[in-house]
Amino acid sequence: MSHRGRRVAMVVVAVLMLALLASCAPPAAAPAGQGQAPQGQAEKAAPAAKQKVLRVWITWGDNPAQLQSLFNKYGEAHNVRVEVNSPVSEDKVIAALSGNEPPDVLVLGGPDSVGSWAREGLVTPLDDFLSDGKVDINDIFEAPLSQCKYQGTYYCLPWGTDTYALFWNKDLFEEAGLDPEQPPQTMEELAEFAKKLTKVDKDGHITQVGFVPDFSWSHLDLYTAMMGGYWYSDDGTKILFTSDPVVGALKWEQQFYCDYNADEVLRFTSAFGGYMSPDNGFYAGKVAMMVDGEWQPGVNFIQKYKPELYYGVAPFPPPADHPERKDTNLVSGTVALIPSGVKDKATAWDLMAWMMSPEIVAEEMVANFNLPSSKKAAQDPRFHENKKFEVFLKLMADPNAKAPILTPINAEVGTELGQIEEKVLHTCADPMPLLQAGQEKLQPMLDKALSGQ
Amino acid sequence: MTAITGRSTGFKLPNCRRKWSRQTKRRFITGILFISLWIIGFFAFTLYPMVASLYYSFTEYHIKRAPEWIGLVNYVNLFHDPLFWTSLYNTTYMVVFGVSLSLIVSFTCALLLNLKIRGQSIYRVIYFLPSIVPTVASTLLWLWILNPNSGLLNTILSHIGIRGPSWTTDPTWSKPSLILLGLWGVGNTIVIYLASLQDVPVVLMEAAELDGANWWQRLWAVTIPLVSPVTLFNLIMGVIATFQYFAQAYVLSAGVSPVASGLGAPLNSTLFYSVYLYQQGFVYLKMGYASALAWILFLIILVCTLILLRSSERWTYYEGG
Repeated sequence: MSHRGRRVAMVVVAVLMLALLASCAPPAAAPAGQGQAPQGQAEKAAPAAKQKVLRVWITWGDNPAQLQSLFNKYGEAHNVRVEVNSPVSEDKVIAALSGNEPPDVLVLGGPDSVGSWAREGLVTPLDDFLSDGKVDINDIFEAPLSQCKYQGTYYCLPWGTDTYALFWNKDLFEEAGLDPEQPPQTMEELAEFAKKLTKVDKDGHITQVGFVPDFSWSHLDLYTAMMGGYWYSDDGTKILFTSDPVVGALKWEQQFYCDYNADEVLRFTSAFGGYMSPDNGFYAGKVAMMVDGEWQPGVNFIQKYKPELYYGVAPFPPPADHPERKDTNLVSGTVALIPSGVKDKATAWDLMAWMMSPEIVAEEMVANFNLPSSKKAAQDPRFHENKKFEVFLKLMADPNAKAPILTPINAEVGTELGQIEEKVLHTCADPMPLLQAGQEKLQPMLDKALSGQ
Repeated sequence: MTAITGRSTGFKLPNCRRKWSRQTKRRFITGILFISLWIIGFFAFTLYPMVASLYYSFTEYHIKRAPEWIGLVNYVNLFHDPLFWTSLYNTTYMVVFGVSLSLIVSFTCALLLNLKIRGQSIYRVIYFLPSIVPTVASTLLWLWILNPNSGLLNTILSHIGIRGPSWTTDPTWSKPSLILLGLWGVGNTIVIYLASLQDVPVVLMEAAELDGANWWQRLWAVTIPLVSPVTLFNLIMGVIATFQYFAQAYVLSAGVSPVASGLGAPLNSTLFYSVYLYQQGFVYLKMGYASALAWILFLIILVCTLILLRSSERWTYYEGG
């Protein structure tokens, strides 16, 4: 009997057990390279022994160095050091908000969580600060501003913002015998065009698709707005899943899967390459029309991955019987807020007010190819050089521009709607029973959340 | 939560009534000092969080405001929550099929890698390599392999006339896809099996051979019983790890659907227990509910481990035991 062998085995087992234990430690979310302090910070740290430090966390950003250098301007003017951390993951943000040392200013990609954070007292209400005149609230576009309002109080301010429009591939339009300069004028026409733009080979496999309503992610909010409503009542107290606009939007979306073979559409679209890659379904000419945001015509997207793409951008069309809903769009995007745990709120507010000044908004949003939230910034000629980008600027300023309504259960509602949309589109289920069940589940949750103020 | 305690380790606290000699005292203090880092770590990062989460599981707690005691409400709600059952079903599916397949595959691989052939060590390295690839990287890689149209797997299948399924976007195939992905990384289990295969006494094999046992009989009657303690170990570790299955599913659903509500995509077929727990805790900020979920998971794992340990008396063999 080989005792030595067994001992060796035992050691191996012990070591591997440790390794396994380590590997099943608490689940960590996407461990991408977050939280790395950008360069330039270290070298600035040396001078001025007791310089005040302000911390800004940004949940997005593929160019941390640019963000840091932008905030360095504030630092130099006010003799403070601004540390920018970008991109920060949502988990870290939640941990920081509940901790004692939250960042002085937090910049989020969208306002979705602000409602529930406001309810939990994690965010500073801004109404008192807004009265000091450092920020001209009339200079902020109404639609993006309204996304920061929760129960009549502002909890954040929009920095940049996003909206969506229709993109179409002019080459594919020509191939299908359509006028490449003429995008669909109604939602009905869009479906007709999509049919002409869809190609199926002899085996019944799709090789080109006209329009995919949930490409590259859900746009149910836009379609619902076009159908004349939203899934909350205006005051955010009632869930309106079973209202005509929501049902109508889902049914309109469903035809793009279920008038074809839903499995084939899904199989075809799931084979598309990454969003930011030349294999993006739209860039690669596999989808003829898509709904996407103002960043697409910019230097970081189509110009970078498919500069030769021959395409147009137009407002998403209204339904044929409601031409007055022309240019309806849902504006939502980057917002800045002050966590309630910040001790020196006045200084944080001063920094935030600086961020909101038209020059800074213009500079950052030009660099990022996002819509400026400030009306003065929007006058900046740099925003008007790109005609395709201008389409979005006009949409945001349009009286039909709307913002999502904030409630404390936005996340739950978003998940529920996402799952319903998935079932309706990918399995051709009837939307009504699903919406009914979702509403019955979520309305009590909303009532409870609202009453627990 | 994952620790398995062995039988009594023979450690006894010194008898405090008798007066310690100076040397004993010094040794005791030195010993304590040596393990103090562990003790601090254990209390601060394991015991305290566990006790706190037990308390939170009886409260409504959303991080900032003080927890509000609500008794058993979280636990009661949990049993009426259809997604809790969905996540439990999905996880059990992975435990039953994933763990058993990974044991079979890794044992088979270990048998092959144990053959005395030329290049044996090279094969061993090749089979072990995938298990050192970080989970996120290997999952992203597999998303490409499993791509329904242009993926490697379906391309190979199409050459033999099979139109492969939409692995990651079809709810019937998403869990098998993840199991497949897991089988790629069984290198650790293979190594453990390999070590125990080499520990199978040659004398027994020779004796069986002299008795006229063929390869299959030797495998069935000698090898498998003799590695059964290792099978038990691998089984328990596998069950524990799979009940906490998270990273691969998180990456998969992020890859399938780029929106946050995509957790569990497609159609909640990859909504595993830990994923649901994460969603409740860190997406909806329902820390109380998430804590209750965590404690139920702890109990499930505990019961499963105890059942396996108890049943193992019937199917494991210890040499000389």
